[in-house]
Amino acid sequence: MKSIFYSAITALLLLTVSCSRQVTRIDPAATPDISGSWNNTDSRLTAEAMINDALTADWLTNHSQAKGKKPVVIVGMVTNNSHEHIEAETFMNDLERSFITTSKVSVVQSGKKREELRGEKADQQTNASQSTMKKFGLENGADYILQGSINSIVDAYKRKKTVTYQINLELTNIETNEVVWIGEKKIAKMVKN
Amino acid sequence: MQKILLLNFLVLISIAAGAQETTSPDQNPNYRQSLEKYIAQKDNLQTTMNTTVQQTYKAYDWYEAKQERKRQRIEDRRARRLYEAQNFGYYYNPYNYLYDPYSTPFRYSPYYFHRHGWRHW
Repeated sequence: MKSIFYSAITALLLLTVSCSRQVTRIDPAATPDISGSWNNTDSRLTAEAMINDALTADWLTNHSQAKGKKPVVIVGMVTNNSHEHIEAETFMNDLERSFITTSKVSVVQSGKKREELRGEKADQQTNASQSTMKKFGLENGADYILQGSINSIVDAYKRKKTVTYQINLELTNIETNEVVWIGEKKIAKMVKN
Repeated sequence: MQKILLLNFLVLISIAAGAQETTSPDQNPNYRQSLEKYIAQKDNLQTTMNTTVQQTYKAYDWYEAKQERKRQRIEDRRARRLYEAQNFGYYYNPYNYLYDPYSTPFRYSPYYFHRHGWRHW
């Protein structure tokens, strides 16, 4: 009788443990595909392709030869025209980081972060000591603006679906509007439900 | 006196030259029109900088549409049962008493056609 009681308790415990949530740490570079939607692997592949292309393309040497210094880039808008919610900041940050770590391209702050910087500078005009106060009008002007777009094509019938993402990044000369570099990454997936 | 006037003239010229913007040789002479236009709206134009503007669309997915229809059917059935439970087992549509959206549509039994055929019953 006792053994039956103990075995029942053990079975109940096992059942409770098996039903509880489990969290396993995984390598961010090896994110498995679960739903077929845009995921970390897609962002990483896009970043890798864009970094390789941007840092080896002709625009960089052309600029250095013409101006004698490294180019200054500002990040503009990325339009997501795909069927999924995608934040481009993940791969754009990787690209900016590669620009800075390779010391080939300078990056200047843009958007809300730049507004915050100017706000801080304005605050310093009345609160910081004169020797440490930062001046207005000494920001680095960008030579190029980095803009992009994400598009997708979906073809689905019954339980099969193919999704193709096309990510384009464009680097444009701010003064002349000349597009000096276009990076492209295509990702195609076959999903079977 | 003449020297003082000349000095004043030179000072004025130098101030005017300093205040004037330097233009490139090939620059459009009407560039100020564009400059003034965009200076006025620069704050609006920069609101989306360093952001992802979401202009997503809903892609048709056969399987997802099927799942959605199934979910909707279950939801409709549940709504009808709930309504009937709260209204003594009857559905009354106040806008059109002849129309009952939750009613089971009349269907011929497949055996009916076996006996009579599709065209001659």
